Amino acid sequence: MNRIRRLAGIAVLAVFAILPLLTTPIDAQQLSDRAKQIGGKFMCMCGCSQVLTQCNHVGCTTSAGMLKELNQSLDRGGSEDAITQMFVQEFGTKVYAEPPKSGFSLVAWAMPSVYLVFGTVLVVFVISRWRKRPTPTAPSGVNTPQVSPDLLERARAQAARETED
Amino acid sequence: MDVFGSFALVLAFICAVYAFVGGIAAILTRHPLLIKSTRQAGIATCCLIFLATLSLEYLFFSDNFSVAYVVAHSNRDLSSFYKIAALWSGQEGSLLFWSCLLAVYVFSVLIAYRNKNGELMPYVGVVMAGVQIFFLTLNNFVASPFKALAVPGANGAMDLVARADGNGLTPLLQYPEMVIHPPNLYSGYTGFTIPFAFALGALLARYPGEKWIHLTRKWTMIAWMFQSMGILLGAHWAYAVLGWGGYWGWDPVENASLLPWLTGTAFLHSVMMQEKRGMMKVWNVWLVFCTFLLCILGTMLTRSGVVSSVHAFAQSSIGTWFLGFLGIIIVVCLGAYLKNRDYLKSENQLDSVVSRESSFLFNNLLFLVACIAILSGTLFPVFSEWITGDRISVGAPFFNKVNIPIGLLLLFLTGVGPLLAWRKTSGESLKRNFGWPLMIGLVAGAVAFAFGFRAFYSLVCLILCVFVASTIGMEFFRGAKVIRARGGASLVASAIDLTMRNTRRYGGYIVHMGMVLVFIGLSGAAFNRDVQKEMQLGQTMQIGPYSLLLQAVDTKPEKNYTAERMIVEVLQNNKQIMMLYPEKRRFATTTENGTMVAIYSTLKEDLYVVYAGQSPDTQLPVIHAFLNPLVKWIWFGGVVVVFGTLVALLPNRRAVLVLAGAPQPASQQLAHGLTPTVTMRGNRE
Repeated sequence: MNRIRRLAGIAVLAVFAILPLLTTPIDAQQLSDRAKQIGGKFMCMCGCSQVLTQCNHVGCTTSAGMLKELNQSLDRGGSEDAITQMFVQEFGTKVYAEPPKSGFSLVAWAMPSVYLVFGTVLVVFVISRWRKRPTPTAPSGVNTPQVSPDLLERARAQAARETED
Repeated sequence: MDVFGSFALVLAFICAVYAFVGGIAAILTRHPLLIKSTRQAGIATCCLIFLATLSLEYLFFSDNFSVAYVVAHSNRDLSSFYKIAALWSGQEGSLLFWSCLLAVYVFSVLIAYRNKNGELMPYVGVVMAGVQIFFLTLNNFVASPFKALAVPGANGAMDLVARADGNGLTPLLQYPEMVIHPPNLYSGYTGFTIPFAFALGALLARYPGEKWIHLTRKWTMIAWMFQSMGILLGAHWAYAVLGWGGYWGWDPVENASLLPWLTGTAFLHSVMMQEKRGMMKVWNVWLVFCTFLLCILGTMLTRSGVVSSVHAFAQSSIGTWFLGFLGIIIVVCLGAYLKNRDYLKSENQLDSVVSRESSFLFNNLLFLVACIAILSGTLFPVFSEWITGDRISVGAPFFNKVNIPIGLLLLFLTGVGPLLAWRKTSGESLKRNFGWPLMIGLVAGAVAFAFGFRAFYSLVCLILCVFVASTIGMEFFRGAKVIRARGGASLVASAIDLTMRNTRRYGGYIVHMGMVLVFIGLSGAAFNRDVQKEMQLGQTMQIGPYSLLLQAVDTKPEKNYTAERMIVEVLQNNKQIMMLYPEKRRFATTTENGTMVAIYSTLKEDLYVVYAGQSPDTQLPVIHAFLNPLVKWIWFGGVVVVFGTLVALLPNRRAVLVLAGAPQPASQQLAHGLTPTVTMRGNRE
């Protein structure tokens, strides 16, 4: 039985080990393409809600112009900050693909972490409360129902009587 | 026929109002005739909506260009296939289609429960009628699809006219998935009305929490399945039509479809806590409320123009109506909850932190955090404009950074959760259940790393996918082994038998397996690459292992458009693999162009070729080619998810008593590696 388990394990391992071999790692040269890297930080302003370097849908007249501006600016030796300023001046702050990590935009970045931390604390609190309860029916402070157990049981019986799956 | 459609809609509205008002009276008086007549009014409402929908379709098929909606979304040369889809291609028609799908659900519920649940159904009927009234108000008074085409006349009054031909369907919508994606997605959105109606109805009827859960499980799963299919079909559509090489751009409308799916998925998990342990009753009620609210919110985002999106309908004032409806729902839900919350008393008690209950809590936490993060990111541009005066965009990079870690944590829980026992899991059980899968996952990760798989998130994703797949595989293997020992059937036959004995549990595992496949596909995105090149005839370009040889560019006149087509030969190691025909479509009725991407898809990768038009400088045709690894796994995973959901919807073949009647004593079986967890769960479920 152990042998079967081992063989099954090896088979699963083999299948998934082959997976990465099937994929082709990205060319490092492509990643260092500066225009693509900087262009990935802006939205296409045609209203397609796509990142500038990814927008090439048919009918888009904006992305080509923006990419041209970007390339020209890079050719002139423009820095990333200068290009950012150029696009923000031209299109406003809606050109950012992600909110800048400053000012009010920090709220956007902070909120998911706040939700997660707050939620985790809440879950831990709920679990610790549930663990402390000695029996399921014990009264528990503020959450004690106003409905008596008898009435609740009658309601439960009524629901069972009046419904069927 | 337009008059007939309008009349049917007005009658439907009147019937819905009667079903709502009469339903409330029936609840108060409990008069049997009133109860019956309101149910009949509900059925009549649905039938009239069906008639109105059919009459609009008839107007499309009869090329009736005296109706404004038909003129705006169809033309004579439009194929019958797309004339069906033209129904939901614009604001007015899609709202009617929404009402129609909702009517399908309401009709099914009213018929299925006509002789059942007599006390609860009037409440459910009132809630469903309330939702129908809202949409019928829009259909009749705000966005009627039956408005006649009118132009300003000489005297300033509007003259009714008929056009010789229509404007045609937007080119982006002329793709086969236009016919199946919106119906699926809308079926998901509208389907969540049923669990909402039962939850609110049960709360208003003061039923203790557990009852409505049993009644609505299959409705929730059906809605969830359609929502899942709709989302994946939408992703595939975007992939094949928009031509940017991706399938998910975190567009506000895409996000809107994901929000109720996330809370719906959380509900499908937490509902088990209520069924097994009588816990989280309040939480489940609110999850269903929130899921329905998010469906309405998503619809509002798509239609109001609050957020800009390539998928959205034209900007209109309809958002105010949705906002009002959202407000009413919130007030009603809150009121019902505050009044009757005591009937949702839970038996919350936990023996150990390491238990199935805890894993469900964390699972729900992650789904909710993902949902709120996506919602706040989607609405952030609106809030930033209100507060600072500047509209700050939140695009794909933000959503990826926030949601990839959450997605990976959820994937981890997908593997861990099902193998934890209810109440308490011992250290020994943890070791037994997770030892092998964890080891297999880590070894797979090490092998992948050694072969150059270095993108951090993709590597973690791969390890977790292997881990989760191993845990699922082991669950099937263990159960099938026991059945094989009893019946002597093959392992595969035993696994099928096992699944059919407890369809819900093993169907759920199949769904999890489908999600693993989807995640494998998503992990490939880190390795996407693309090349764009101007091409002369006979010239080749290289992308990955493929050479693309441009053989010709020709034009192909079709009935409704002219296709400008590239003929591209794909070679690998100097051997022809296949021909690809990416094309641009120029439609006679519009200045917009359409595109048809050509894709050579394998399990390893997609070669995705776009005819990107002609270079303005050289007039040469431009090819934009992408190499997207593992994309096919996403679509295949979607099919597995749907299959798993269908399995979970099937009734169990017979009672599950895996160990009962086994030839060996239980203790002996345990010695052979069958865990007490499996025994207990098998017997309980």
